[in-house]
Amino acid sequence: METWLIPFSYTYMIKAMMVSALIGGVCAILSCFMTLKGWSLMGDALSHSIVPGVSIAYIIGLPFSVGAFVAGILAAGGMAFVKSNTRIREDAVIGIVFTTFFAFGLLLISLFPSNVSLKSIVFGNILGISDEDIWQVVWISGVTLLVIGLKWKDLLLYCFDANHARSMGINADFLHMLFLTLMAATAVAALQTVGACLVVAMLVTPGATAYLLTDRFSTMLAIACTMGVMSSLVGVYVSYYFNGSTGGCIVVLQTLIFIGVFVFSRKYGVLSVWLKRRRVIRTLSKA
Amino acid sequence: MTDSISFLAPFQYEFMIRAMIVGALVGTVCATLSCFLILKGWSLMGDAISHAVLPGIVIAYVVGVPLALGAFCSGLFCASATGYIKENSRIKEDAVMGIVFTGLFALGLILVSKVEADIHLMHVLFGSLLGISESDVIQTSIVAGVTLLVVVLMRKDLLLYCFDANHARSIGLNVRVLHYVLLSLLAATIVASLQAVGIIMVIALLITPGAIAYLLSDRFGVMIWIAIGSAVFSCLAGVYVSFFINGSTSGCIVLMLGIIFVLAMIFAPKHGLIVRGRWRKSHVKPWSDQENAAKPT
Repeated sequence: METWLIPFSYTYMIKAMMVSALIGGVCAILSCFMTLKGWSLMGDALSHSIVPGVSIAYIIGLPFSVGAFVAGILAAGGMAFVKSNTRIREDAVIGIVFTTFFAFGLLLISLFPSNVSLKSIVFGNILGISDEDIWQVVWISGVTLLVIGLKWKDLLLYCFDANHARSMGINADFLHMLFLTLMAATAVAALQTVGACLVVAMLVTPGATAYLLTDRFSTMLAIACTMGVMSSLVGVYVSYYFNGSTGGCIVVLQTLIFIGVFVFSRKYGVLSVWLKRRRVIRTLSKA
Repeated sequence: MTDSISFLAPFQYEFMIRAMIVGALVGTVCATLSCFLILKGWSLMGDAISHAVLPGIVIAYVVGVPLALGAFCSGLFCASATGYIKENSRIKEDAVMGIVFTGLFALGLILVSKVEADIHLMHVLFGSLLGISESDVIQTSIVAGVTLLVVVLMRKDLLLYCFDANHARSIGLNVRVLHYVLLSLLAATIVASLQAVGIIMVIALLITPGAIAYLLSDRFGVMIWIAIGSAVFSCLAGVYVSFFINGSTSGCIVLMLGIIFVLAMIFAPKHGLIVRGRWRKSHVKPWSDQENAAKPT
């Protein structure tokens, strides 16, 4: 067999590629909304906050997604409560809540080391994902996609301009909660592939990259989604040869794509802006 | 063994004493800086830089320079790259930070798995206060000492910059320099805390003490002492508790901080939930009672 086909001869590689491509796609779609809304920190915070939920779920034997989801919602609720009841800025509130949740998770794991592996939570364990976990991921992704498909116009308007959405009679509080829930759900799924620390990359980078390439939201969605899926596929594939962290490979790949687009984008790239500026200066100095 | 002896049991071990001293030192530095960060609104920055030091540590190990140096450079690189991309693209700052620090962190993960190093990844991430070595203690003390010294010497300028950068500029302070001084201090603090609490838990030490103090006081001078007090207390208590429950030390420290924050949020004399609730209640009284309830108690 040709050497480059070797990864495809292992079932766990195929599984890992399929699952992470699915997660990459779903996260990328959500990341377009996130980029507009400016909630990247929230993604980071939620992905860390679900750790105690995952540990408790594994310790008492529940499906991990249930525990993670509950913890995510609790964290979001906690942040909202602290923010509206103290004079501390939102970013600090988010930081306080998520580090406390994460510390609690860390403590739980250190107390029950046999039930959960800290490594697989922090770095993801897509190559060793169990069939049960795959079904949970598929289920979460399906529901998330369905909800986005049904509500995407409202969500878009809400992310773009919450006040305008409110003035049109859309229930902004409901959308706020819906969006948070979707984020928690995708963070739970992404935890499996890249781990708690890198979930935020899956939830931010594709959307931001697409945002540099186009002004149309539908195009943005398509670009981000392609990028999310492709980088997951290639990342898993490359990690076979690297024999290194799968999550790391996926995220580095996404960052490289981002840097490429940041430099070479035809509309908003650094290079084209620089060239345009030089052209203007030249025509001005000639005149 | 009687009760009084088992209470003192942790103090019989040299590593416990050392862990408490280093913890208190790290807590002091982080808490001091956290007061500035909370005013400046840079809580996110601590999060980003602390993740971004990972590749620096691995590269420093490979090249053979002190790990602290690599970590420091990598942290500063993250901050300046974030600034550059933000200024040259239309992406919001929070997203830029998310992209840059996760990219660096992921690079660090790959490097760690590729390089045959005896860097214990879990110790870098979550600290190993109980197993901290003599040389690490010295390194931590030096970095922490220098950081504290710089903060003390420049505290007025830094405070003004954090509070109102435009005002600082208008009275002739060099805001650009102050910006980078604060960034460097932040990176140095993270480096100092690396061995003790790890790059993930340091985020809490860089945010929570300042927030606790901000709830309890309006005077910056008082704020700093409250922040230091709460951070040192949670480091000591966290180490102490972790001995008995045999759990993660840094986890205990951060949880302790979280508990103090919740207490402060409820009971703070001026900004606490109880006082606020009472104040709100006193304002829905009928008009005739308003004179008596004009001020929050």
